Amino acid sequence: MHLTINGKVIKAAEGEMLLPAIRRQGIEIPALCDHAAVEPCGACRLCMVEITRQDWNGWRRHVTSCLYPVEEGLIVSTHTPQVLEIRRTILDLYLARCPNSDVIQKMAEEYGLTKTSYEIIPEGDNCIMCYACTRICEMLGKSAISAVQRGHKKVISAPFGKEPPDCIGCLSCAFICPTDVIEWRDQNGTRTIWSRTFELISCTACGKQILTRDFADYLAAKRAVPREYFETCDDCKRVELSRKMGGLVDLAKEVAL
Amino acid sequence: MTYRYVVNPDLCTGCRTCELACAFTHTQNQKPGRSRIYPIAYRPDKFVPVTCLQCDDAACVKSCLFEALKRNPTTGAIELDKQRCVNCRACVAACPFGCALIDDIHDEVVKCDLCGGSPACAQFCPTKALIYRRIA
Repeated sequence: MHLTINGKVIKAAEGEMLLPAIRRQGIEIPALCDHAAVEPCGACRLCMVEITRQDWNGWRRHVTSCLYPVEEGLIVSTHTPQVLEIRRTILDLYLARCPNSDVIQKMAEEYGLTKTSYEIIPEGDNCIMCYACTRICEMLGKSAISAVQRGHKKVISAPFGKEPPDCIGCLSCAFICPTDVIEWRDQNGTRTIWSRTFELISCTACGKQILTRDFADYLAAKRAVPREYFETCDDCKRVELSRKMGGLVDLAKEVAL
Repeated sequence: MTYRYVVNPDLCTGCRTCELACAFTHTQNQKPGRSRIYPIAYRPDKFVPVTCLQCDDAACVKSCLFEALKRNPTTGAIELDKQRCVNCRACVAACPFGCALIDDIHDEVVKCDLCGGSPACAQFCPTKALIYRRIA
């Protein structure tokens, strides 16, 4: 399948979305809600591009490239003045909603914006409602968090704003969040996220902590990873491996003698 | 054709050239903390370079909920797709040999990818304690 991106004819696979095809050409498209691990959802609107076709007689459309599948003969422009203006307006709105986000400020500066032209929402947090956290949680089969309320009251939250019963404390939501708005902390052998506290597994030998007990149990149950693998930390397991390999060498020498 | 690391602990002096070669190949700086291979002493003067064993039924691949770890059919290495990785560290905790590592400097998961078929650590080993060769 062939399409034209910024005047250059390129090949793309059937069913692929425009955004990966454009990025493969080395063209930078801003996007906040995009992540390879989750399905695209077109929430942040920043990957907007202009499309047209030969038979459209000069008509054009603006689409989110992450959700638009490639088509034969499509003509895509990624940086027309209109597209840039759309992106600038979206970033302007984001600046009003998330006045404290470094990621958005940096992105806005690239588009020539330092201050929002809208009224800053005083109680605004850095959440841009991109659903990356809920999508990744759904992806790993938990759906512990979701969007609640409607309209301007909409927030990402655990059910009823209480401790999420399905959460396993894996931190995937916190790591995938493009604006780092999900708070968590590890202290005294526990991990707290979404106001729920989890117990971390301490290495039986050295006490190093990596995962929560719930996450390890979940992996053992869902993916059939032997549960005892999680009891020791990676450092101790490497030392153990070297001892085992050394033991094999000694054994081989004894047999040779 | 199966290629494997062949380790001879009698020859390993624990000089950590493999660490430097690995860190430099993957990150363009020679910080040993960013290596995917570590010579570990199993007795005071005896070292074994420890790195990913590319298991057939790998616990890291099973534990990855986002399919970020996949086997490269040409090299046989289990490779980490950084685009898909969300840094949950399930693989780090799951690996029974502790060979999926956390890069402390960039706070991300790193793992041996056999350098696309010719590992730099084996090429740079001065005593040939670590070689990568065809065994079948």
